[in-house]
Amino acid sequence: MAFSQPWLLWLLPLAFLPLVFQRAHSKNYSWLDMLPADPLSDLIGLILKVLAVFTLLFIVLGLSAPHTKQQEVERIGVGAQISLVLDRSASMDDAFSGTTENSLGESKSAAAARLITQFVQSRKNDMLGMITFSNSAMYVLPLTENKEAMVAAVRATAGNALFQTNIGSGLTAGAGLFDSVPDSGSRAVILLSDGGGRIGAEAQQKIRDWFDRMHISLYWIVLRQPGGLSIFDKNYAPNPDKALPPEIELFEFFKTMKTEFHAYEADDPKSLQLAIDDINRKEKKPIKYLEKIPGKDLSNLCFIIAAIMITLLLGVKYLEINTWRN
Amino acid sequence: MAIEDIKEFSYHIGWRNRGRHPGRHASTQRGMGMEFIGHTSLLNYPDPRRIDLRQTIRDPMEQVYVRLFNQKSATPVFVICDLSGSMNFGSKTRKIRKAADIAESIARSATRNSDPFGFVGFDEVVREDWISIASFKSQRAIDLCERLKEHHPEPVSGSGIDDVWRFLPRERSLVFMVSDFHMPLEQLEGALSNLTRHHIVPVVLWDADEYTNLPENGITAVTDPESGAKRTLFLRKSYRDKIIESFEARRAAIYKIFMEFDMPPFYVEGDFDADRLTEYFHQFVAA
Repeated sequence: MAFSQPWLLWLLPLAFLPLVFQRAHSKNYSWLDMLPADPLSDLIGLILKVLAVFTLLFIVLGLSAPHTKQQEVERIGVGAQISLVLDRSASMDDAFSGTTENSLGESKSAAAARLITQFVQSRKNDMLGMITFSNSAMYVLPLTENKEAMVAAVRATAGNALFQTNIGSGLTAGAGLFDSVPDSGSRAVILLSDGGGRIGAEAQQKIRDWFDRMHISLYWIVLRQPGGLSIFDKNYAPNPDKALPPEIELFEFFKTMKTEFHAYEADDPKSLQLAIDDINRKEKKPIKYLEKIPGKDLSNLCFIIAAIMITLLLGVKYLEINTWRN
Repeated sequence: MAIEDIKEFSYHIGWRNRGRHPGRHASTQRGMGMEFIGHTSLLNYPDPRRIDLRQTIRDPMEQVYVRLFNQKSATPVFVICDLSGSMNFGSKTRKIRKAADIAESIARSATRNSDPFGFVGFDEVVREDWISIASFKSQRAIDLCERLKEHHPEPVSGSGIDDVWRFLPRERSLVFMVSDFHMPLEQLEGALSNLTRHHIVPVVLWDADEYTNLPENGITAVTDPESGAKRTLFLRKSYRDKIIESFEARRAAIYKIFMEFDMPPFYVEGDFDADRLTEYFHQFVAA
C-alpha cells in the first residue's frame, strides 16, 4: 500500500468535522425531555455521523491516490531473448524479383515486416528488441515482453531508407540490447539483410567478443537476389586478384565466431518464411523471466465507497422532514 | 392590533378583596355599595345619609343607627408570562405570540372591569424589562404585549418562575399564569406554593405540532431551545404514539399538581378563544 499524493493525507482530520459541528438544519422543539428515549433514533443519529465521517475519510483517501505496490512474479516459459537487427538500406525496398505471382511487387522490407510480425505473434514468452540499421544503427525498441510494442516497432520500420549498409554497427547495437537484461539462457540476434557489408577488423573483434561474452547466438537471413551470388555456393572460386565479395567475407567472419551461428538464404517470401520457421523451432528453450504485475489503483474504490455513502446520506435527506416548519 | 379588535372575556372572583378603589368585585371595604352587612351606631359610623329610622325607633336605648354596606372594589389582575426558550416554538404562531394575545385580552377585559392590570415576564430570572406595574390604564401593558409579539426568547430556561411571587402585591390578586409549563415538576410545585396567596389561573399553552400533529414518517434533527441539546428523531407510527403517550402523562401530571393547589388549568391549543375563558370562570369560579 502506497500513496501517490501522501501530502493530501494531512486533510484527514477534516473528516472528523461532522463530529464537531452539529447539523445546521436542526429543527427547534419545545422541550426535548418530553420526547421519550428511542434507541432506534439514537442509532440512526450515530450512523448518520459515522457515515459523514467515513464519506469524508474515503474522499480524502481517494484524493491521495492509494495503490498497491508493483509485484514481480517469476515465471518459467518457453522462449528466448531475441534482438532483431533489420537492414533498412534502400535495396530492401526493392521487390524480390522473379517471384511467384501472388507476392509480385511485395518489397523485401514489407515481406520481412509481415513475416516478422507473424513470428512475433507466434512467440509466447519471448523478450524481443529491435535495431534497424543502414548507415548506422537506429535504436528502435529495447528488449521487452510487450508484443504490441514490438508489432508497432516492426510496422514503424517501413519508411524511406538510406543507401549504406553498416552491418557492424547494427550487430553491436543489437548485442548492446542484452547488456542491461539478465541472461535468461537463450539469447539470439536475428540479422536480416540483403547482401553483406564489410566490417572492419576492429569491429569484427568487438562483435566476436560481445557475442561470446553475452552468449548470443546469431541467425543471419540473407535476402538474395535470384541468380545472385550464394554464400552456400560450394563451387564459387574467389578471384585472387580481388577482395572477397562482402557476403562471402561476412559469412567467413561469422563462421569464426565462438557462439552458435546459422545462416539462411531467402530469395522469395516463402523461403524467408522457412528460415524464420527454422529459427522459431530452434529458439525454444525454457527460460525464467519476471512478470511484472502492476500495482492496483485503489482511489476509484475509495471514491465508489464514498459515493455509496453519499447516496445513503442523500437517501436520508430524502426521508428528512421538511413539512415541520420549526 | 387595534385596541377594539382585542377580544374580551368576562371574569369574576369567588372571594372578597380588600381594595379601597371602587370596582366590580365583592369586597370587605365599607362604602357606598349595595351589599348590606349590618347596623352600627351613628357614633361609630358618622354618616347621617345612612341613618336607618326603622332600626333607630325600635331601639329602647334610643341610639341612632346607621346601615353598613360593603362597596364593590377593584381587584388587581396580573399576567405572569413565561419568556423562556420553549415559548419560541409553534408552527403557525409562536407560543410567545399567542401568550401576548392572551395577555392583551386579559388587559382589555381587566380595564373594562375597572381592575388594574399588571404584567410580569420571566425567563431564567424575572425580567424587569418585561414588567408593567399594575395600572388602571391598560395602554402601557398593551404596548408591552405588542412588543412581546415580535419578541424572540433567548435560549434560557424558565427557572425565574421561582421568584415571580416577589413581584406580585401582598393583597390577593387574580393571576393568570401563561406558560407551556415545560419545566421540571418540582420547580412548578415550588413556584406554585409561593403563589397560594393569589387566585391563580394557569393558562397552559401547548401546540398540536408538539405531539399530535407530528409529521408522519421521517428523520429529523431537533434542538432543545433552552439547553441547546440536539437529538436525531426517526418518526414512525410507534414512536409518535409514544410521544403522544408521554404528553398525555405530562398533562395528567401537571393537572394533578394544579389541582393540589386548587387551580384548575385552562388549556390553549391552537387559537385562543376568549369565550372559552368566560366559560372557564363560569365553570370553576363560584360567583
